[in-house]
Amino acid sequence: MGDKVYEKEPRTPEELAGYGSHVIQYSPAYSFCAGCDSCMVMCGLTHEGTAGHGNGRIQVDHGTRSLENHILACQQCADHPCYDACPKKDSAMKIDGETGAVYIDEEFCIGCGLCAKNCKFQPSRITMKKDRVRKQWKAAKCDLCRGNPEGPQCVKWCPVQCLGLSEDAVLGEDGLFVPQAKQ
Amino acid sequence: MPNYKTADFLENPDNKEKLYGYCGKIARINLTTGAVSFVDTYAYVPKYLGGRMLINRLFWEEVAPGTKAFDEENKFFYMTGATTGCGIPAGGRSAACCVGASSNPEQYTWGNSGGWFGTELKYAGYDGFIIEGKAQTPVYIKIEDDKIEILSADDLWGMRVHQTQAAIEEKHGHDVKSMVIGPAGENLVRIASITTSNDFVFAKGGFGAVWGSKKLKAITVRGSGVVGPADLEKVKALRMDMNNPMMAPKPILHLEQAGLPGGFFPAKYDRGHAACSPGCNQHCHGLLMNGVTAFDDQRVNHVEKCVSGLTFNYTVDIGAPVGMFWPSKQNFSQPCKMLVQEFTEPDPSDPYFEEQGELLLPDILNFWGPDYDRGTIINDLCNDYGIDKWDAIIFILPWISACRQEHLLDGNDLGTGMEPDVENTAFIKKFFENMVYRKGYYGDLFAEGMSRAIAVLGKEKYGESVYHNRISQRLGGKKVALPVSEEAAWGHCMHWQGRGFEASCDKPTWLAMNMQNMLNTRDAQTVEHFHCKIEYHQEALKDPYHCPHVIEALIHTQNNAEIKDSLMSCEWQSPDLWWPEMESLMYQAATGYPVTPEELDEAAYRSKLLFRAILIRNHGRTRKMEVEQIWHVMQIPDSLNEVGDWKQWNEMVSLMYEARGWDLKTGWPYRETYEKYGLKDVADEMERLGLLPEHPAPDAPRWEDYGEEPYSKFVENWKQDTIVLPPQQK
Repeated sequence: MGDKVYEKEPRTPEELAGYGSHVIQYSPAYSFCAGCDSCMVMCGLTHEGTAGHGNGRIQVDHGTRSLENHILACQQCADHPCYDACPKKDSAMKIDGETGAVYIDEEFCIGCGLCAKNCKFQPSRITMKKDRVRKQWKAAKCDLCRGNPEGPQCVKWCPVQCLGLSEDAVLGEDGLFVPQAKQ
Repeated sequence: MPNYKTADFLENPDNKEKLYGYCGKIARINLTTGAVSFVDTYAYVPKYLGGRMLINRLFWEEVAPGTKAFDEENKFFYMTGATTGCGIPAGGRSAACCVGASSNPEQYTWGNSGGWFGTELKYAGYDGFIIEGKAQTPVYIKIEDDKIEILSADDLWGMRVHQTQAAIEEKHGHDVKSMVIGPAGENLVRIASITTSNDFVFAKGGFGAVWGSKKLKAITVRGSGVVGPADLEKVKALRMDMNNPMMAPKPILHLEQAGLPGGFFPAKYDRGHAACSPGCNQHCHGLLMNGVTAFDDQRVNHVEKCVSGLTFNYTVDIGAPVGMFWPSKQNFSQPCKMLVQEFTEPDPSDPYFEEQGELLLPDILNFWGPDYDRGTIINDLCNDYGIDKWDAIIFILPWISACRQEHLLDGNDLGTGMEPDVENTAFIKKFFENMVYRKGYYGDLFAEGMSRAIAVLGKEKYGESVYHNRISQRLGGKKVALPVSEEAAWGHCMHWQGRGFEASCDKPTWLAMNMQNMLNTRDAQTVEHFHCKIEYHQEALKDPYHCPHVIEALIHTQNNAEIKDSLMSCEWQSPDLWWPEMESLMYQAATGYPVTPEELDEAAYRSKLLFRAILIRNHGRTRKMEVEQIWHVMQIPDSLNEVGDWKQWNEMVSLMYEARGWDLKTGWPYRETYEKYGLKDVADEMERLGLLPEHPAPDAPRWEDYGEEPYSKFVENWKQDTIVLPPQQK
């Protein structure tokens, strides 16, 4: 990736203006992530019926010793560099007209990985679902569980409810997200 | 190659039952030859479920009698379960087994650990692995999907646990999962542990020393594949039904007192919480934030689990209500709710409300006073050297404290150059450093484990002298005798046995717990907290040695421990006495295999029989051996100054043996017992070895030749004592 400079996750209203609705992690003062990976596991299970790093559209960066864990979720960039990089845009990668989220239509995904490589964030928020044959790899990306009336399953299944949606959050006193109603 | 979609494992020709949940293969890695081969998981499941049951079968087939912990022939088995990685609560845990180094004498030893390693191993395509042989020079094993490499660990050898983890992440990336040993394992310290992320460990078995003997410093894994349960809707239902998950925000707490109930003291610190494994719906470990460390000026977070709470203050033992072992349906709560301090509101309409809520006041043991930072350093020493906290906190340090108070260490610095004072952090650091690096006479001695060390020092003096500073709150503050050593059985220390550590239980409970400890050393061979429904409590109190409900509950407890260690699950989530289908639902959700609770119980009987056969064949287990092992504890008074009755205890042992289908004289299972659970081949082997008992003649009197009660120097010392209460008249 050369000298690519990666973005920081947006927090302030000004920063958030460049991003669509996305899954955020609340301040530990509101709820501390227990590191159980339920978000990642249930994401994979509800999307694919299987769990693994490739098909979890949300990942957990575990502090090996600290036990402080950081959620790695797609920030749904308004300028969508992943979409722009896709050689099959509008067939393999599409934009949800309602949420603005970029989503993947696997039928047309050729598994080139350009979307993942062009993610603004490090680690990339787009994962690659591997297969026994390289040509059958597919990209996996958070689509906010589009079409699911329960909304994002990672948020639903978090036992300590430390995840939410960016539009429902504001910055707390510690500069981290808290739910609006809790401020 | 890992499984990348369900078709990959469903279309595996060996997967004849079309089971979900498993990967299908177990890696066999030989450190002597460098060879890697594979065992077909489906040759053993569903009959042996996975986890411990599968290990028991492999151990029986592969580890020959006479194999010692540090022999090249010793094998280390690591196994996940069908639920591992499937999003089923507690399923992320894993089991391991080998001839462990910690027990005395050495024997089959087991462990169950949390962490992320097991799930990652399944992502890489393996249900488990078997480590064989010995490397000539330090190595670590790197698993990345298909690629299994044995690499030089010359640069890792000598590092402490956290240094090793950091170095591995530096080499192979932050996302790699690892299990490592510290210097204690390298130096064959018999209480050395194996550590995975967040200080989750295989602690009790001395597995770290076994790895050290094999020159194995670490195993790393990274997998790109998937794990798939059979029924997502059942997984979801289990996630909501198992143990009432919080599903609500839980912030970091800013606390102003530390310690355990009865021993709280002022201390300002922040406390978070942590899950132990992927996909669990609980978070039952405490996270003590920003604490001091033992080796530098960093401040780091420490996980607090179970026994580590006593490091901060061991003045008072841990108390417990009757309902912890004798729960009522209306006020039943699984232990993880207690650990995470999410107590449900008591329901006073419960007819057993008062009985199950009675708090059995703990003894005052006076081993050390409160000091938050000192406790944090003790925990850090254990974590970073890679030694079992249980032995450090319950066996070593209380022994030093008791011996010093009894003037048994006058003029003896235990090789530290300072007074043996467990309230002096500098002494503790030096003592552990000597032990971990086997420095000097005492360092080398204590590296052999407390049981062996006390035997060398002289057990009558250093094990069985009376400690005079135990005070029974249940007897209104009277002094009750306790030996200076908390050794219980098989070289391990006491645990919910009515005296010593976690003594707050009544006689039916401590009889049951001692029976468990006699048959399968807690916690080096099982973790199983005795449970019996409260409606049988009064009957058990009337005749605790002969209560059929206690025997029935013991078998239920033991069998459920076998099941939870095989699915996998967790001692804090299983069993639920009022939801007997829970484990079968877990297995069905993971595999799609239609198993009933009765069939799971049958599998547990089978596995317990294999375990028994291993103890008999490999380690010479007999009734005489195990009754004598445990009897030492029963001669120590409980909090009411009561001791065990030799004849009645033997009668209880006989009831247990009969219920299991074992011979009363030898403690060995009969042929029909093996065959009933599909183990004819085991019966044949035991017969060939002369280890299959003959049934007594039909008209023969019931065997009752218990022999004389074994002599105890402690009892003799106690009888002569004038300060503590005299021995209770039986």
